[in-house]
Amino acid sequence: MIDVRDLRFAYPDGRTALAGVSFHVAAGEAVGLIGPNGAGKTTLFLCLCGVLRARPGSLAVAGLDPSDPAQRKKLPAHVGVVFQDSDDQLFSSTVGDDVAFGPLNLGLPADEVRKRVAEALGRVGMTGQDDRVPFHLSGGEKRRAAIAGVLAMHPDLLLLDEPSMFLDARGRRELIRLINALPGTKLIASHDLALVRDTCSRVIVIDTGRVVAEGPAELMRNAELMERHGLEAVTGQS
Amino acid sequence: MTRNPEHLAPRDSPLARRDPRWRLAAFALAVVAVAVLRSPLPSLAALVFALALAVVGRVPDRWYAARIGVLLIALAPFLVVVPFTIDRGDRVWEWRFLHVTKEGLIVALTLAAKTVALVTLALTLLASAPLHVTLAAAGKLGVPRLLVHLTLLTYRYVFLLLDEFGRLRVALRVRGFRNAMTGHAYRTVGQVTGTLIVRGADRAERVSHAMRCRGFDGHFRCLTAYRSSPVDVLMFVLIVGIAGGIVAWDLRG
Repeated sequence: MIDVRDLRFAYPDGRTALAGVSFHVAAGEAVGLIGPNGAGKTTLFLCLCGVLRARPGSLAVAGLDPSDPAQRKKLPAHVGVVFQDSDDQLFSSTVGDDVAFGPLNLGLPADEVRKRVAEALGRVGMTGQDDRVPFHLSGGEKRRAAIAGVLAMHPDLLLLDEPSMFLDARGRRELIRLINALPGTKLIASHDLALVRDTCSRVIVIDTGRVVAEGPAELMRNAELMERHGLEAVTGQS
Repeated sequence: MTRNPEHLAPRDSPLARRDPRWRLAAFALAVVAVAVLRSPLPSLAALVFALALAVVGRVPDRWYAARIGVLLIALAPFLVVVPFTIDRGDRVWEWRFLHVTKEGLIVALTLAAKTVALVTLALTLLASAPLHVTLAAAGKLGVPRLLVHLTLLTYRYVFLLLDEFGRLRVALRVRGFRNAMTGHAYRTVGQVTGTLIVRGADRAERVSHAMRCRGFDGHFRCLTAYRSSPVDVLMFVLIVGIAGGIVAWDLRG
């Protein structure tokens, strides 16, 4: 589903965000991408969804190369991204319109769009809340509405960037339940290691733009490794 | 929690049921008609007409009154000053060098009637449909796409920026900052403004990323189906006809 080979990316100011990242995620996997602030997680996500341009041949996402303009246009139908701050993602005047935004951009007929909106809202537990104003929602509801907006596009791959940010304990618990119930391949970038432990079977540790470790979720119990990369080992069971 | 950006949930009304394109076109022409009026009686007629449309559009009283109240407060200094500044015409009151003329009072009345009529038309239009529907209709009527997008996103995010501003104010206050006419205060206000602009730009970039990730290609699409019916055309003809009649009266008078 995702094949990353020696991915490098530097911002125009010269700052290197990704310095040769390589990893593979198979279809159906739920993988945690963990690392401290500034490790390159968000940049990696933006490269995966084609917003930032990577070197041709360094990425394959759902069989598409995001660096190729023709293939990049097809990415939204396959890759769904849930951003850190839901307020960046909810720009329509009602939840229903926001969830419909993606499917409408895919050129789907109105009836199909309405069906997908109802289905996506149902999946995140927001049935019948189409008419609510996104800016009135709580943090947890905003996150769920943002996820619904992505689910309505029926992506094969879901990229969740810091999904537990701005959530209280209850919102976080609901989110974990929701992520576990979502189908498809998931790549979750977070430094909330407990959330990653509860939702992912495998983790990739990224720091200073490089993959520094990769393995099963138990890797997060390695206190020395976690501490070395600005993280804190998780203890206890989910 | 962000501020409430949706001032009003549009109500069902004879106006709300009309095709947004015809409604927008009719109101836009009516606004132009009111703007060109010069005489008091046609201006008052335009105000009555705008109020009638507000009633037909079932604009909520309180929502309307709150906004017109703010408008009148903003307008008051002009309305008070104008009668004193126009020399021509009969003097109705005089005290030393101060005088109020009949012409001045008429101009103030015309100004007030026209302004309230214009804002009433705008509020009625806003109350008749969610903003994105009206803006999508504007796009269909040929308003430049960039302008439509800018208006929509500005409306959406201005409230987040206000929140941002609120947080910055709190941050300044807890560190002892008080507004004063000092160099330090001016520098601080300048820095806060700069920070807001930078944060606004960051936010705009993130929103743009989120939109592109959901397949946005520069076209705003919405689920609202636009279908013209004879009633839409009738509404358009009626509104534009009455507005045109008032302009003709104004020109003759």
